[in-house]
Amino acid sequence: MSIASRRRFQLGLLLGPVSAFLAVFFLGPLAIMVVTSFLAPGLYGGVEWTFYPHNFGRILGFADPMFEEFDPIYIAIFLRSIEIAALTVLATLLVCYPAAFCIARLSERWKNFCLFLITLPFFTSLIVRLFVWVLILRQTGLVNEALLSTGLIERPLDLIYTKGAIILGMTYVFIPFMFMPVYASVEKLDWTLVRASLDLGAGPVRTFWRIILPLTAPGIAGGAVIVFIPALGNFVVPAVLGGAKVMMFGNLIEQQFLAARNWPFGAALAMMVMSVMLVLMIAHVVLSGRRSAAAALAR
Amino acid sequence: MKIARSLFNGGLVAYTALFFAFIYIPLVVIAVYSFNANPVNMMTWTGFTTEWYAQVLGFKTKVSESALYIESTGQLLQAVWNSLVIAASTTAIATVFGTAIAIALYRFEFVGQRFYRVVMFMPMLMPDIVLGIALLIFFVNSGIKLGLTTIIIGQCTFLISYVFIVVSARLAGMDRTLEHASADLGANEWMTFRRVVLPQLFPAIVGGALLAFIISMDDLVITYFIAGVDVTTLPMFIFSMLRRGIKPEINAIAVMMLTFSFVVASLGLYLRSRQK
Repeated sequence: MSIASRRRFQLGLLLGPVSAFLAVFFLGPLAIMVVTSFLAPGLYGGVEWTFYPHNFGRILGFADPMFEEFDPIYIAIFLRSIEIAALTVLATLLVCYPAAFCIARLSERWKNFCLFLITLPFFTSLIVRLFVWVLILRQTGLVNEALLSTGLIERPLDLIYTKGAIILGMTYVFIPFMFMPVYASVEKLDWTLVRASLDLGAGPVRTFWRIILPLTAPGIAGGAVIVFIPALGNFVVPAVLGGAKVMMFGNLIEQQFLAARNWPFGAALAMMVMSVMLVLMIAHVVLSGRRSAAAALAR
Repeated sequence: MKIARSLFNGGLVAYTALFFAFIYIPLVVIAVYSFNANPVNMMTWTGFTTEWYAQVLGFKTKVSESALYIESTGQLLQAVWNSLVIAASTTAIATVFGTAIAIALYRFEFVGQRFYRVVMFMPMLMPDIVLGIALLIFFVNSGIKLGLTTIIIGQCTFLISYVFIVVSARLAGMDRTLEHASADLGANEWMTFRRVVLPQLFPAIVGGALLAFIISMDDLVITYFIAGVDVTTLPMFIFSMLRRGIKPEINAIAVMMLTFSFVVASLGLYLRSRQK
């Protein structure tokens, strides 16, 4: 066997099985979901093989006039989910950004230890981490018990099952997602530019807005994208901390699949989340491409 | 100016201390209160007990004879067993597949490398729920009965990516002169791979496998959609308990899960970061 054909054989051996696996069980299901979102729901939970754009119509305003009515509730829940996801991005950024500056200045050993401490919770059970917040926030939870016993309040506050509780829970869960990209760009920050700006007479505030923030913007943008997308589609956090009171898009999708049994509609809802994700990804790629082009020109 | 700067630095350090407090104090709180004897209100301290742990582990306790008894210890143990079986199977498959893709991308040249890279990063960016329902639609349409098999297949689709990322980071950082030296000294490709590449790669593979194991143990969303009616995993068990109402036993289960995850993940992260 020639070297080239032997290499090709080795490559086939490495990639063949896993490619088949991913094509059938990963790309295949995603393609089927896309198709399903355009099919008509059957009477008893199945699908009918006819082209049916009204699944999206039910969400966006052109519902099937025969069977369904357009209900603005879906778009309202969608917008609320976007709002909650955006506030989560903001909260994680406020929590992570200053800490990244502090940790970036530590010695190598402490730095690694801090990064380890931040990554570790990512590998602990999501449901356990949320459960902790249930114990803290609920009517008979830690905060209410403490406030009641000190006499600051007379009856328990409604902390859990609110939008705030969801944002708090999401922030807690998504900290590592935001911290890592932000930290990567803060660590790379060229401090000579900051010193130059200060020497040339710009005040600390101006230096922050004109030098530090633009230079760390790629990390912030990266963190924002990878927090926003899973936050938008999340259904566990609202299920545990939002209860039945504050519903998000993820809960709606779950309902369509496990309770209402309208799979095409559920698939269409999921496609809404996917489309937001695609728009964000494309924007991110285009913007960071433009940024690196500008950086190349500046050199 | 100097005072202002040291004030600012002090503030930054205090902020970072609060940052870590925010991450870890809730976990400390739950660990402490898992020893609280109060059976009605878990957050009012009435005394120290290890009863909840004994209860979960299946020992006979005062609680098991009282009205507060959690009848589902058997179910819990079944859920733990299911989770372990799933995690062991998915780890084995995902480690082999993830490592194979990493080696192919970093030691071979071929058309479509970019495509593979995109596919490897897709599960990280997609919301879990999308993959969960896509798999559900697929399995039901293809007539595969939902259960352990579908959970194992479904989890592998995204665990491969985690192993890939850990192993490929190591491959990218590896010193290739050693491989060239080995080839120059007359070792054939297989020999070079086994004696030079694999030993350097081994910590990353084990690290990736451990992380895959723990992510599999903790996965809720995707498993939840493709588990069917007969199989329950540990995170699903806790999720359904949270929806039904909280009993002190969950505290003890949660603390045990945290401890287990911490130990396995620490080991995995340590192996991942080891550069020599």
